[in-house]
Formats: sequence, C-alpha cells, structure tokens
Amino acid sequence: MANSAAIRVRDITKVYARRGQPDVRALDGLSFDVERGTIFGLLGPNGAGKTTLLRILSTLARPTSGAASVLDQDVVTSPLEVRRRISVVIQETAVELFLSVRDNLGTFARFHGVSVGDIRARIDRVLEDFGLAADASRKVIDLSGGFKRRVQVAKVFMVDTPVVFLDEFTTGMDPILKRSVMDKLRGEASRGRTIVLTTQILSEVEELCDDILILNHGRQAARGDLHTLKLLSQGVYDVTVTFDELPPAIEQELAALDPIRVSVTHNTVEVTVKEDHGGILPVVAALAARGRVLRLEVGGASLEDIFVELTKGARS
Amino acid sequence: MSALSAVMYREGKIRATNALFIFWDVVYPLGYLLVFGVGMNEAIGFARLQTSYHAFFLAGVLGMAGFGIASNTAWSFFMDRDNGIFFEMLTYPISRAEYLLGKVLFNVAIGVVQAFVTVVLARVVLGVAIRPEGFPLLVAAVVIGTAGWFFFYAIFALAIRRNDAFNTVTSIFYFVFLFASSMFYPLEPLPAVFRGIALANPVTWHVDVMRYATIGLGHPQTIALEAAGFVVFTVVSFVVALSVLRREG
Repeated sequence: MANSAAIRVRDITKVYARRGQPDVRALDGLSFDVERGTIFGLLGPNGAGKTTLLRILSTLARPTSGAASVLDQDVVTSPLEVRRRISVVIQETAVELFLSVRDNLGTFARFHGVSVGDIRARIDRVLEDFGLAADASRKVIDLSGGFKRRVQVAKVFMVDTPVVFLDEFTTGMDPILKRSVMDKLRGEASRGRTIVLTTQILSEVEELCDDILILNHGRQAARGDLHTLKLLSQGVYDVTVTFDELPPAIEQELAALDPIRVSVTHNTVEVTVKEDHGGILPVVAALAARGRVLRLEVGGASLEDIFVELTKGARS
Repeated sequence: MSALSAVMYREGKIRATNALFIFWDVVYPLGYLLVFGVGMNEAIGFARLQTSYHAFFLAGVLGMAGFGIASNTAWSFFMDRDNGIFFEMLTYPISRAEYLLGKVLFNVAIGVVQAFVTVVLARVVLGVAIRPEGFPLLVAAVVIGTAGWFFFYAIFALAIRRNDAFNTVTSIFYFVFLFASSMFYPLEPLPAVFRGIALANPVTWHVDVMRYATIGLGHPQTIALEAAGFVVFTVVSFVVALSVLRREG
C-alpha cells in the first residue's frame, strides 16, 4: 500500500571521501517524512547538509547508506521514476543562455512531457505571472542576474510535477516578485503539490512553511511547525532598546549577559538572551537604567533566535 | 514528446541560434577537400593509388568532419556547465543514456547532411567517381563514426571539467589521431612503427570504411574487420562515457 508521505528518508548518511584529508560526513543518520501537499523548509548553517540532502532526493547524488524515496520511488533503485515526479530549482542559476525566455520555458516543459499544444498557453500564463512578458523574445544571456533567476524559477510553474525542490529560490528576486512567488507556492501546495525548500532567509520559512527541519552537522537539530519550534526557545527573549545616546562601554555589559545574538547599530541595542532564574525583567531594567531610553521592545524568540541557538556549535 | 526527442529538440534549438555555425559545419569539409586535396593532387600526385588524391582524400575529410563535430558536441558540456543547466538537466525525467544519445543525434544529422553535400559536390566539381552502392555503408559510417567519437570525447569532457584542459586534450587528439592514420596518406609506404600505430588507430578504421564506401578502395575482409573494430570502440566509449556521467549525478 502506498504511504501518505511524499518523501521518506531513513537513516541517510552521506560521506565525501577527500584525497589526503579526513572524510566529510555531510549527512549523518538522518530520518524524516514529508507529508503530501505541505511546504517543507530545510534550514541549517552553511555546510549543514541541506544541499547534499536535496541532491540525494533529486537523484544527483547517492547516499552512502540509508534509503530515501519520493512518492514511493526509491532514489537509488528507481531514479528515473523519481525524476518523473519532481522539478528542481538548483542553487546555481540554471538557464539556457542562448535561447529566448520563451524557448527556455518551452524546452523545460517538453522535457517534462507537457504536450506541444499545451505549452504555448502555459508559457503565456507563466510569462504574465513572472513579469516576463515584455522580455519573452529576448535571449536570456542579455538579462540581468535577477531576471535569469526569475526565468529559472518560472520554469517549475510550467509543469505539474507533484514534488518541487527549491534550493535558495529567492536569491536575486526583488521583494514584490518574492512575495508573489511565495503566494503561488502556497497555491500550489493547496492543490496538493509538495514543496521542499531551503533558504537562509528565515522570515521566508516563518511565513511559508508548514513543517520545518533544522539541520546541523548533517543531523536533525529540531523539527516541527513554527509553533512547535518556538516552544524550544521558551525563556528566550529579543530585547531592543534605543537610547538618545549610546551609553559608554555598553558592549561589555551586553557580553556579560552571555547573549545568543547581539547587535549595536547607531543608538540601538538588539540582544537575544535566555532569562535566568530571576526572569527577563531585571535584565531589561538594568539595560534601561544605562541611559535615556527612547524606545523599548521585548518579544519572544524568533525563528532566527532558535536557529542561532540550535546551530551555535557549527558557527563558532 | 519522448525524452530523446526533447534532448534533440534542445540541441537543435541551441544550434539554430547560430546559423553560421551550422553552415560552416556543412561546407567546411568540402572547402578542405577543394583547397588541400586539389593542392596536394596538383603539387605531388599519387600515382601509386591509381586514383586522384582528392578521390583518396574524400573519405579523409569526411572522417575529419565527423571528428570535428564530435569534439564540438562534447565541448558543449562545458557550455552547459557554464549555463548551470548541466546539473538541472540531470534532474529531468531522462535517463543518462538518453542524455548522451540525444546530445549527439542532432549533430549526427548535421554530419549526414554534411557528408551528402561533400560527396555530391566532390562528384560534380572534382569528378570523383563515387560508388552509389556504397551509400548505405557511408551513411552508417558517418552516423556511427560521429557518435563514436562524441562518446570518446565525452569521457574526457565530463571527467576533466576544465574547459582549458579539455582544449589541450583535443589539440593533442587532433594531432595524434588524425596524422597517425590513413586520413591524409596511404599507410603502405610508411615506416613499420608508424604504420603499426596507424593501423591500431580507430580513425584509420573509420576512414578506411568510408573510403571503401565512396571509391571502393580496400579489401572487403579488412574493411569488415575495421568496421567491427570501430563498432566495438563506439560501444566501449559509450559505456565509459555513461559511467563517467553517472558519477556526476
């Protein structure tokens, strides 16, 4: 019987052997499922194993051990069947530079078996959706980097593959298009497509993903929806204080709080701290007493705070 | 549309963006034959062949043209890498074998057109006596020859990854394979060592088959052996190229 998971990963390990250097364990016994019709976010610092995982799921790499399947098709034993069910936006810009925007979309659709009669209508729709209609006949080599990325992402909207992989898909996109693409992705997911994305922009994950996996050193650091992950950071607060004049030696005082994250910009101090036994208020009071406060804000932890906290070891 | 025809369609689309490139591919063997072949024929003459040099050299330019198309097609892997499309294509619903075959099939078609134009004009302009009964063998030799050399070059294009290093390799191959073969001259008068190297060279096998197909030069048994040798070379090159491509993803 077919399982309900769109993607199933079991105890996947990927080791890269390097001549004369120690092996790199990019994935280390990772297991998880992705339900059909969800938007699944993969988060992690550089080198956490996100792209390696996407390469395995899109049949570009083989796991060293373990198993993975996409819609019940094993990525190692049935790679072609997997590829019939996926479309992929890889991390690097991937376009046919010498073809027009229209031909880029059409060629991609032909590879995915869209009928010739259907292709023209789809191209017109996607050109409109992505603001590319005016450039339809231009060769992609003549477009800016952002437009090339736009063409690349537009391609996956030409086809109906049930699973879509997006590796850092918003790179180079302006905020308006980004929002529009995110809306489209939500629409695709509501129609039953499963979207798996990686990104470094955590606000995108907060806004878009139903399910989030944080990877660190090739292992699962945390997993769940946004609310579940936020529970992991109970007792972690973001404190923002704007002074009329930055108090002297404030940096040392902030360092003494052992913050998860700290930034000082002009007269504003932003610090993420874990409350101690006395709670957060004494910390806020101590900070506020250091000068004349123009603005004070205290909030619960963001996904970024959780991310930083969970992956601290990898970044230090 | 089948996966194979989708790859061919893509190759055709890309090649069609440069009509001059296609035109050059089609006419350059003829130009080579007219300039080099006629020049050699007039300057030196090849009485021992019992035929004109341009008749002898016709198969040589066809072999050279197939060799050139194959190396250009293999070079396009670097263009695909530069465009970033190489890895994206490996996620398309096509097998690795279809990717390799589709990439060369469009260019094989160009090779057949090129051979047709060259043979017809060699007959009309230079008066080379072409054997019509050899045409099916000639078409087979052009198709398998171009594909075989493409698979051979693809091994290096996929394994080397560096455009400049690949260019060095192709320069070496052009020098070694083309000159140590029966492409430009008959092998009989050559020193034994040179002749031995040339006889072991797949370019010699390929050109000899086309020479037999066009002007009937050669012994049928030897030609059959050389044809079989070239088919084996093609199959082995395909298998190795496929395995190198599979290592990529």
